[in-house]
Amino acid sequence: MNIHDITERAKKHVEKDIKRRSRWTGLLLIIAAVVILEAISHVQAYYAKDGIRQEAKAKAEGQLNAVRSGILNIVNQAESAVRNNVWLAQWCLQVPDSLANIPKLIVNNNPIIAGSTIAIVPNYYKKRPLYSPYTAITNGEIIETSLATPEYDYPSKEWFTKPIELDREYWSEPYIDTGGGEILMTTFSVPIKDNQGRIAAVLTADLDLEWLGTLVNGIKIYPGAFSTVVSRNGRLMVSPDSTLVMTTTINEYASSVKDSADLNALNRAMLNRESGNLPVTVNGIKNQVYYSPIDKTGWAMNIIIPEKEMFAGLRKLDNLIRMLQIIGLLLIVMIFRSIAKNQLKVKYISEKKEIMENELKIASDIQMSMIPKTFPPFPERKDIDLSAALFPAKEVSGDLYDFFIRDEKLFFCIGDVSGKGVPASLLMAVTRSLFRSICAHNDNPKNIVTSINNSMADINENNMFVTFICCVLDLNNGKMQYCNAGHNAPLLLTDKMHELPVDPNLPLGVMHGMNYTLQEVDLHYDDAVFLYTDGITEAENQNHELFGLQRLKNALSGRKPAQEHLDNVKKAVADFVKDAAQSDDLTMLFFHYLSHQGKVRKLHLNSDIQEIPKLSDFLSTVAEEKKLSQSVATSINIAIEEAVTNVIMYSGADSVDIETESNDNEIIYTVKDSGKPFDPTQTPDVDTNQSLDDRKIGGLGIHLFKKIMDSVTYKRLGDKNILTMIKKIG
Amino acid sequence: MKTKVTKEEGQIIVAFTGRLDTPAAQEANPVINPLLDEADKTIILDCKEMSYISSSGLRIFLTLRKAAEDKGGKIIIQNINDDIRSVFMMTGFLNLFEIR
Repeated sequence: MNIHDITERAKKHVEKDIKRRSRWTGLLLIIAAVVILEAISHVQAYYAKDGIRQEAKAKAEGQLNAVRSGILNIVNQAESAVRNNVWLAQWCLQVPDSLANIPKLIVNNNPIIAGSTIAIVPNYYKKRPLYSPYTAITNGEIIETSLATPEYDYPSKEWFTKPIELDREYWSEPYIDTGGGEILMTTFSVPIKDNQGRIAAVLTADLDLEWLGTLVNGIKIYPGAFSTVVSRNGRLMVSPDSTLVMTTTINEYASSVKDSADLNALNRAMLNRESGNLPVTVNGIKNQVYYSPIDKTGWAMNIIIPEKEMFAGLRKLDNLIRMLQIIGLLLIVMIFRSIAKNQLKVKYISEKKEIMENELKIASDIQMSMIPKTFPPFPERKDIDLSAALFPAKEVSGDLYDFFIRDEKLFFCIGDVSGKGVPASLLMAVTRSLFRSICAHNDNPKNIVTSINNSMADINENNMFVTFICCVLDLNNGKMQYCNAGHNAPLLLTDKMHELPVDPNLPLGVMHGMNYTLQEVDLHYDDAVFLYTDGITEAENQNHELFGLQRLKNALSGRKPAQEHLDNVKKAVADFVKDAAQSDDLTMLFFHYLSHQGKVRKLHLNSDIQEIPKLSDFLSTVAEEKKLSQSVATSINIAIEEAVTNVIMYSGADSVDIETESNDNEIIYTVKDSGKPFDPTQTPDVDTNQSLDDRKIGGLGIHLFKKIMDSVTYKRLGDKNILTMIKKIG
Repeated sequence: MKTKVTKEEGQIIVAFTGRLDTPAAQEANPVINPLLDEADKTIILDCKEMSYISSSGLRIFLTLRKAAEDKGGKIIIQNINDDIRSVFMMTGFLNLFEIR
């Protein structure tokens, strides 16, 4: 399965799952969000409306107060202008001709007064039954006239009759002055009493009410809001509909609309000089009306605010909030989708990772199955105690070790591929395969390493390399040949512990045709060799200290079973690094070359007399192992050489096999061949006391081994001659 | 294994060095055979540097001894070590040779 397949598989599997789940979760989330937002919006609207009403009320009352004080300010001015001249008028009653000066004075001194008169009660003066000098200002010109005309008939006017009737100051109902242009006017009248306390005249000031509309509508608290001012009698003085001004009373207006209930209530309140606030629906339009009386004048004023206008801001706000809600919802949806996507990605990545990990696990299993890992590896051999271990830092390792026995030679190696992970592990597998295939027909480490290097350099496109050391130990004589390719020196454990001298050489795979050097060391019984990768000495603890060679040597002290040594090293490294992560593969191989005690040693020789030196080496190894004295070793050598020479020279066999087996008391030597049957024990003994003339040249060999060995027996098994010679020792 | 022949006035010295095992004895034969014709002289076999001897080596010695016997010469073996001495003993060579 390649990476693409893994990707597709993970994708399909996860997408289905996530889509199904995310659809429902998403829907629920959105519904919840809508409900919550809607609730928030309603609560907000409720409080907002209340707030707006409060605000409108405050605004309206403020406006009413402002208009009222504006009106009162002018009214007060007008009142003062008249009152200030009351004493003068009383005084002038005695001099009627001077009375005309008083209105003139009032108009001249008070720009807000449009006209003034002092109207004498009819028949107060006998000579002048009607007398009312009038001063007015029209278009900037002061005009003095008299109101005592039959057309005008001032004694019938309200401004004249009411103050007399009520015996107090009086503000007239507003009226449209037709004399000097269509001007809305009102008149302030004060009764003037003479010395006897009789009302003799009425002093007036006409107040032009043009400013009233301007003042009332001067400030618009809401765009659609408007105000009305009504007179004492309910006549409209200020109205948005100018045709109603002075022509209609509010009650008349109320009767002209269908839904007048609210309006009637309002009218009642206003005409009763109340102040307050009423909801009024007129012509289907909801309004809030704030009303207040205006002192002195008897007028009342209101501010009418259509709710539509009042809550226009709220509606805007509401719209804004709704827009924000929609944007928020969209954001939630987008965020959710993005989260779901991320989840999908995370899930997908983790699933992909899982698949990769599974495959890496398989790769690791395959890789580990390539290296021997059954220990002890050679249970039938007592001369070899070998154990090896590989602890990868990642799933797969770039380290390798290998070993096997061929033709009584132990081949073993260790290597460390540059880099880690899958690429390193693949190169490790290649190295191991090359090692096995080349060693099948080659037992010279220099040639083995050279061949591996050349093969690897040819295919090495990634410039990776392998540090490697290959050892071949002749188990018969302890001669170990080795060749190093850039690997760290193994430890040789004899009486002491030291690093095996190694030529550095270049690592494998670096350069084709590289010359590697062969080295050699004689291993003796009980010697041991420890091969390892630098993952051990360079294991780092949290303080970035390295495990180092000395700690390794300490961990290897003493002579224990190989597996125990490995366990000790592993534990020492683990104790050292503690919680620090393993950064490199840990690989090691411990080989203990044991005495041959009780074990069979074998030598195979071609039927060639030139093979005899090999036999001597073989026999001296056995002798050394059994710690035989030089002379005993020599005599045994002679005996066995004679037996073997006999086979080579006379049996006609192609080869001869020699085996030795020993215990504490004896060494048993067996010589086997497939030549013609021959029993040397049946040959007559040589008489060593014979005279020279009688002595034969031959026969000495058989004589010697019979003499030297303690027991010589022959048997023919199948097509084999088997000669067994025993030498007692100890 | 080396076999060195030195001819002096009236005597021939043959010096063996190393192991006189079967292959070494075969190598030594071509050196020794010519001496059989000179077996009328005194031939000294110097074993000072010889560490080992097989039956093939013993045969060379015995062959020379027989030739000397025939021709009236003399074979003297000198400087044998203990191991070789014990071989000579086992094979009765101590009785056949003049050893010094």
